Amino acid sequence: MKRTIFPYLVLAPLILLLIVFLVLPILGSFVISLLDYNPLRETGNTFIWFDNFKRLLGNELFGISFKNTLTYVFIMVSINLVVTLLIAQLLTTLSSNKWRSLFRVLLFMPCVAPLAAVSVIWQKGILPTKGGLLNIFLSNFGVAPINWLGNASVLMPSLLIVSLWADIGYNIILFISGLQGIPQDYMDAAKIDGAGPIRRFWQVTFPLLGRTFSYVTAMTLISQFQAFAQFSILAPGGGIARAGYVLSTYIYDMGFGNKDMGFASAISLTLFLVILVVTLIQQRVNRVDWGY
Amino acid sequence: MRKWTRKTTVDLVLIVFFSVFCLVFMMPYVRMILDSFKTRVEVMKANTFFPSKFILDNYQSVFEKTPIWNWFLNSLCTSTLVTVVMLFTSSIAGFVFAKYSFKGKQVIFWFIMATMMVPAQTTMIPSFLIIQRLGLYDNLFALVVPSLVGGFGIFLCRQFIEDIPDSMVEAASIDGAGHMRIYFQVILPLIKPALSALAIFTFLGKWNDYLNPLLYLSDTRRMTMPLALSFFTSQRQSDIGAVMAAATLVMLPVTAVFLAFQKQFVRGISITGMK
Repeated sequence: MKRTIFPYLVLAPLILLLIVFLVLPILGSFVISLLDYNPLRETGNTFIWFDNFKRLLGNELFGISFKNTLTYVFIMVSINLVVTLLIAQLLTTLSSNKWRSLFRVLLFMPCVAPLAAVSVIWQKGILPTKGGLLNIFLSNFGVAPINWLGNASVLMPSLLIVSLWADIGYNIILFISGLQGIPQDYMDAAKIDGAGPIRRFWQVTFPLLGRTFSYVTAMTLISQFQAFAQFSILAPGGGIARAGYVLSTYIYDMGFGNKDMGFASAISLTLFLVILVVTLIQQRVNRVDWGY
Repeated sequence: MRKWTRKTTVDLVLIVFFSVFCLVFMMPYVRMILDSFKTRVEVMKANTFFPSKFILDNYQSVFEKTPIWNWFLNSLCTSTLVTVVMLFTSSIAGFVFAKYSFKGKQVIFWFIMATMMVPAQTTMIPSFLIIQRLGLYDNLFALVVPSLVGGFGIFLCRQFIEDIPDSMVEAASIDGAGHMRIYFQVILPLIKPALSALAIFTFLGKWNDYLNPLLYLSDTRRMTMPLALSFFTSQRQSDIGAVMAAATLVMLPVTAVFLAFQKQFVRGISITGMK
């Protein structure tokens, strides 16, 4: 199209908004991370350069949250991918469209619910030691009541279950549409060559699903690193023995609870760096250079 | 009668398996709804699954003692406003990036894409300070203004608009249509699937958001539904029936909309996976 100023007219207000609400905050977090910054204080908000980052090194709570975050994300993403891919494969095998849609709708339902509401339901209805549905169910098998949210060794597994329940629907839908996009010819050819269903999955389906798999992995990774509502509600202040402290809640508590915003910004930049590195590694590992 | 084949057996096994699986999967919903109809004593005793008598006291208490209509309207207005504006900004920016060549195009586009990489936790402290400076603290516009433009929407729309042949845009231009007319009459009708996907994502994201309302709102009456629910829960720790009634009311609108438009939801999510 011929040269006009139209693009600039359109983009100028949008870029202004992006600068004020995204670029400034990004630059701001770099600057604040170099300050000893308490918003309630009139004076004393001075440059201390890298002291906030030095504080991170020996800080026990930061160490715990850092480790918890990596553990949570790694287990969450692994289980999530395996379970959703398996369910999607089974649902694609199902030849009845009606039943498939029904199951897909039911499994997706928690995804449209606010995570805050999901957390409340699990906290009050499923996970309580006394009267929680999970313990009532387990008591049928002679399992003694477990304090799901008040015992340091099961707090993280409980959080994982809640997060999985709330989140698997998305990936199931993405995988089903990925699986349905694979041309049937490949499958027929493999069948004629005598490959069984499991071999067909690993040697035909899975490699051909590469692009979808890479996309789903990246999206799940990035969103899980930022998981906040369920941790904030089910493990406030990190929960029992801080076993449920993750970087997102730790940053919030330091920045808005302790008003130690310089330190909180330093942690938040560390989180950003971790997400960046992990995503880059993932992109490398799952690289797909071809299509069909 | 249909012939009994191996396929039928596989189907049957799968249907039985998923029926049981989904029944267990739906338990938190079932529990929430059933508990919301129990008396306080019955929930505390926790020895019944179904309420011995369905009572509406919990709902009545939520409607009478909380500004739930305010919470609902707060969520509805902020989410709708953000969605409508986001559809416009994303599609028009996508149009410009897909169909115009101008100086700095690549740089500006990748600059916008890069902003998507940054986690909310990294920007939340400076954002909070900026919102405070702008005098928007404890104001619902604090939830709206920062979310009017987004990299994801621009990217999605650009991908779809690039698929529209340039010749169509040129033909309209030769016929005398201006930039805005081309945008409204040629581009928009052709990217409806992308727009409905974007609308679903934006609306859900806004409606379900917990972090931003937590940061920017403090007055109870100004809260949005998810924040209000967690606030209500902390106020009524032991009144589980009332909490479950409130949770049911919070879940109801989005779940109803989802069930009504499930086909669009599924298609919208699939679309974003393919681009």
